[in-house]
Amino acid sequence: MIRRAAAVVFAIALLYPLAGLFAPVGPWRWGGTETAGAVWISLSLTGIAMVIVVVLGTPMALYVARSSTRERLWWQAVLLISVLLPPLALGILLSLAFGPHALGAFLDRFGLQMTNTPLAFVVTQTYVSIGYYVLGAIAALDGVSPRLELQGRLLGHGPWSVFWRITFPLARLGFAVALSLAWVRSLTEFGAIVITAYYPAGMPVALWTNLENFGLPAVMPLLLVFLLTALPLPWLAHILAQRRFARA
Amino acid sequence: MLDARVVKRREGFTVDVSLRVAAGEACGLFGASGAGKSTVLACLAGAETPDDGVIRLDELTLFPPPLPLHRRPIGYLTQDASLFPHLDVSQNVRFGLSNGVAGGSEDWIAELREKLQIGSIWHQPAHAISGGQARRVALARMLARRPRLVLLDEPFSGLDRHLVRELIAAIAEWHALLGFALLVVDHDAEVLARICPRALAIEEGRVVQSGAWDALRAQPATPLLAQLLAPL
Repeated sequence: MIRRAAAVVFAIALLYPLAGLFAPVGPWRWGGTETAGAVWISLSLTGIAMVIVVVLGTPMALYVARSSTRERLWWQAVLLISVLLPPLALGILLSLAFGPHALGAFLDRFGLQMTNTPLAFVVTQTYVSIGYYVLGAIAALDGVSPRLELQGRLLGHGPWSVFWRITFPLARLGFAVALSLAWVRSLTEFGAIVITAYYPAGMPVALWTNLENFGLPAVMPLLLVFLLTALPLPWLAHILAQRRFARA
Repeated sequence: MLDARVVKRREGFTVDVSLRVAAGEACGLFGASGAGKSTVLACLAGAETPDDGVIRLDELTLFPPPLPLHRRPIGYLTQDASLFPHLDVSQNVRFGLSNGVAGGSEDWIAELREKLQIGSIWHQPAHAISGGQARRVALARMLARRPRLVLLDEPFSGLDRHLVRELIAAIAEWHALLGFALLVVDHDAEVLARICPRALAIEEGRVVQSGAWDALRAQPATPLLAQLLAPL
């Protein structure tokens, strides 16, 4: 009983920052088209980034998950670097690596601007989130015995068919958790985005500029929208995954 | 006809086994644990890639180069039934028929279901059935495709004697009916002798003796083989 009470206190303390939504900051100032624009930019460009993350990250996760222990350690070390890079540092490194003295000059020839453009936004989001997705997807694939895939192939199904009929159904919740982590990491990214793509302003940058220019009443509506778009997907994926593990 | 030489380096020794098993014939691989028997089967199935050698099944070359697993007309059953846990029993049995290539008929599926006594669990999830039932389902799933070569790697371990007897009878019956080449690994000579009239005895990756069981028992080639063949 005492332990449960302590857990309740812990949970309340953990969720306490959400009480800030009810703070007396004065009447909320709805930004109208400006807020809607930031929401649209964040959701649409994050959506594009997630497609890239899944298309590039899934084959990588499959390869790493089925490679030898030694090779796998090497690949995971590489993936961890991208996850552990501080966002601000990543933003600076991206702007230098894709800057006019590096790859940026080459891309510029094709009209691809890598600063303050939707392209820069998507590339940055992809960089900040793909490591999370791949590592999560590897963990999901670890839960599928290679023996099942072997049987599937010996029963006449090619690698693609085995993936869709065996591997993916058994790992789908793990994939969903990995994607939701990548989604929230990408959607909420500020440190790297503010360096590479201050414009077009997505929700995190718009929150910052609203706070700077207009104060808390202008921030609160966008903050609420931000939470409502960022939290439900990963929250639901985790709950479903936990339910599955509880049943197993 | 399976005609193979399998060479695979293992820690401590190299497996180097040559064997021939004709269609309709059954051959046992017999030896102590760790002798390399399962390695031979895994290489034939494609679960492992040999370091050298050649594997042919009728007109097909399985190695080298390694033929993709899904193009091998092979059934491979181990002590782990490896049923697909997200599918029910009927979906598991039909799995090999759902690729649009393999032939199969409802009569054949019904026969497997009846003879292996899995009708009562036909629509149960695969993860909810017992170990013995799982082994029957795995056997049905493997035979549904009518493979030309069947590889059994200690398929009866952990099962009670009654069920082992039943499964052996079922395998023998379908072996006679379908005429596949059959290669069975087991460390229990008594079980192996019930399915296979002849065997290859393997020690540290090499065939030390081959022939009918009576000949092996009468004059075992090595002291270890004599021990393994001696009654308890």
